Amino acid sequence: MGITLSDSAAKHVAGFIAKRGKGIGIRLGVRTSGCSGMAYKLEFVDEPEEGDLVFESHGLKVVVDPKSLPYIEGTELDFVREGLNEGFRFRNPNVKNECGCGESFNV
Amino acid sequence: MALLHIAEPGMSAEPHKHRLAAGIDLGTTNSLVATVRNGIAVCLPDEQGRTMVPSVVRYRTDGSIEVGQSAVRAHATDPKNTILSVKRLMGRGLRDVAHVEAMPYDFMDSDGMVRLRTVQGVKSPVEVSAEILRVLAARAEASLGGELTGVVITVPAYFDDAQRQATKDAATLAGLNVLRLLNEPTAAAVAYGLDNAAEGVYAVFDLGGGTFDLSILKLSRGIFEVLATNGDSALGGDDFDHRIFCWVLDRANIAPHSREDGRRLLMKAREAKELLTVCEEVPIKASLQSGEEVNLVLTRDEFAHITEHLVRKTLAPMRKVLRDAGLAPEDVKGVVMVGGATRMPHVQRAVAEFFDQEPLNNLDPDKVVALGAAIQANVLVGNRKDEDDWLLLDVIPLSLGLETMGGLVEKVIPRNATLPIARAQEFTTYKDGQTAMAFHVVQGERELVSDCRSLARFELRGIPPMVAGAARIRVTFQVDADGLLSVAAREMSSGVEASVLVKPSYGLSEHEIAEMLRQGMDHAGDDMTARALAEQRVEAGRVLEAIEQALAKDGELLDARERMQIDQSMAALRATLDGADHHAIRQAIDTLSRATDEFASRRMDKSIRGALAGRNINEIEV
Amino acid sequence: MGVDLQQDHFTLFGLPRRFGIDRAALDAAYHELHSEVHPDRHAHLPDADKRRAMQWATRVNEAYSTLSKPRPRACYLLQLEGLDAGFESNTAMTPDFLMEQMEWREAVEEARNAGDGDELSQLHVRLRHQAREQYGHLERLIDVDRDYDAAAELVRRLMFIEKLQHEIDDALEALET
Repeated sequence: MGITLSDSAAKHVAGFIAKRGKGIGIRLGVRTSGCSGMAYKLEFVDEPEEGDLVFESHGLKVVVDPKSLPYIEGTELDFVREGLNEGFRFRNPNVKNECGCGESFNV
Repeated sequence: MALLHIAEPGMSAEPHKHRLAAGIDLGTTNSLVATVRNGIAVCLPDEQGRTMVPSVVRYRTDGSIEVGQSAVRAHATDPKNTILSVKRLMGRGLRDVAHVEAMPYDFMDSDGMVRLRTVQGVKSPVEVSAEILRVLAARAEASLGGELTGVVITVPAYFDDAQRQATKDAATLAGLNVLRLLNEPTAAAVAYGLDNAAEGVYAVFDLGGGTFDLSILKLSRGIFEVLATNGDSALGGDDFDHRIFCWVLDRANIAPHSREDGRRLLMKAREAKELLTVCEEVPIKASLQSGEEVNLVLTRDEFAHITEHLVRKTLAPMRKVLRDAGLAPEDVKGVVMVGGATRMPHVQRAVAEFFDQEPLNNLDPDKVVALGAAIQANVLVGNRKDEDDWLLLDVIPLSLGLETMGGLVEKVIPRNATLPIARAQEFTTYKDGQTAMAFHVVQGERELVSDCRSLARFELRGIPPMVAGAARIRVTFQVDADGLLSVAAREMSSGVEASVLVKPSYGLSEHEIAEMLRQGMDHAGDDMTARALAEQRVEAGRVLEAIEQALAKDGELLDARERMQIDQSMAALRATLDGADHHAIRQAIDTLSRATDEFASRRMDKSIRGALAGRNINEIEV
Repeated sequence: MGVDLQQDHFTLFGLPRRFGIDRAALDAAYHELHSEVHPDRHAHLPDADKRRAMQWATRVNEAYSTLSKPRPRACYLLQLEGLDAGFESNTAMTPDFLMEQMEWREAVEEARNAGDGDELSQLHVRLRHQAREQYGHLERLIDVDRDYDAAAELVRRLMFIEKLQHEIDDALEALET
């Protein structure tokens, strides 16, 4: 299990980190809030925090805090394009309901 | 469904609370919109992958409006209703516009800013620009999947107050929240400086389609400090096209041409200019409606020769800006080239000679301004942590003054003063019982009022009647970080605030803007009340969020009673949000603002003390 | 330490009240204050915060523009010491000084009429040197001798020099256009 990146997500993450000029990887996580109870977090990581779990996917570090992990275990992060818009999407097997906005969910 | 982007560490937004920001380069010939996404500034393309939008607006007979590429195509068939290079008209009267005779528009001869008669009625340049802004904002919203929280719009550094105000008014008409008007060379310096970790003194040479700017900046540890700026707000690549056009008429010995022939030749001229960047010589061929044939060859040398006076026009501002900054050419560590017109080899050569070094061309000169604006918009909207921020300290490009006896100018605020700046002057009454006074504000460096730009006339009313010379009226000029002037007045002996009625010389009055807004909404079938309600709700949300954050951080600065008052005002504001009365929300916001005024002062004091704390101990008594 | 909009410029920047100034410390304090108060730091906040930021940033800029240049700094210091800054009204100068001024003025005039940019630039450089020397003297008068009347006299002379420099700038500008 763990957390993985799709090919497309990995390619984009690697590119963004390179252009940003710093950062060791990305952080995926959740916090309680939002219209359906939980909200996703997606951030650059400059240094991991204590207790963080670190996965590797396509040679990139994917950092998750232990509290978030049960909610996103098995998630694949994907990068998609919809019209002019483009960005990341969590493909999360734990989700029961998702808010139409795609930013929050419950399990 | 919204797609996610990678935020800075610890800066993930709450769902539905993303602060979307964009930078807009509203250019003379082309405009761009950019944003910071996944930590990187990018120019946003349309479906065809094109990032540049030609700054062309066409008003059609069926009431629709075309902007960009499709409007360009219509220019040949519908020149009167297809507006090009509207930036040259912003904040300008008919008499100030260069080559007005070559423009195919139906100008209205009236006081103040020029107006154009179109098939959809009389349009001000502000309205035309608003159409371009709407298209750019719509592209940003489609690309970001949400509504824009705010935008940064760039303006030539050498734009005067009227031109800046016109730009801001255009944004208001387009329904945009302007975080800042940012000077184009400064925006370019941000993009360049952050990309190259530059330190030291840099010059930005920005020759766009219709404007020329030159700024000298000092970059040091995250501070971008503009030392001086100069330029010419009516010099750009268009003028080089025009020179080739005249050269063709002269060489091909062509008689006065039809409008269509003129347009065709001007297009050929522009193509030739662009080709000469890569070729040593280019053929110029055209068959005209008049039956005449053009078959010429323009060499790079000849082109340089016929446009030499235009290049020379950039030299005086270069000398002046260095003198104002107190520097010599050799003090400049690098010269950043911005704007498509800097691609011309002889322009590059002139700059290289002047500064005795090769100019820097490692960023796309067409995009760098929009990218810098996007980077700054991202900061201003609050998407980054304060500690890794940088700071821009910009200046006012032209002195502000008041008309005095004999048509002379008394300078009130000098050019190149760092913004924001305020200066006060005292005046007195010259008649017994006088209750009103009139002033004329001008901008420019010359001694005579008639040689400067008239900005506004304003009148003070409500001065308490006294004997002549007894009243002491203090007039304060405040120029904000956008470079925009506001005027306030107070009678000092009585403390009476005089009301200031400002009549802009080349701008739109508040009333006119409100009227245009209303018309625009009628047109879009939009409901004014619904819009006002939505706006007040957003503002209320912003105020509540800011105060919650402030309370969490600095709550200890308040005693129990003060805290209770603020809590009550916040609750009162929240209660109004359930209703549909935008006036009630506005009132509750104002009440809350007043309730937190003292708190805000204390917080500012605290942060200022914090800034100075370490140094006071170590460095004061040496 | 209380902080308010009315305090004097030196206190605002946490610097001792002297003519001889630590330029690096002044610049550092200026930048640090702007990091807190500049409107760009408050652009996402409600209007009331933005207004306050503008007031403060305006205040910081006013203080910096006064202290960072020697002549305005001297005037300001003398004003804090209770000397009227209405220098224009008090123009009694020694005959030697006035003579010297006339000679300078003639030299500028001559170069201007001859359209001699090099000569004008030379004059500018010489004036700058002269001003620099005088500022050294001024520092002693204010910071060491505390002879404010003599300092005021010297400041008035420096204002003449400054005016001349502006005239040369204008002449150079006229030559270029």
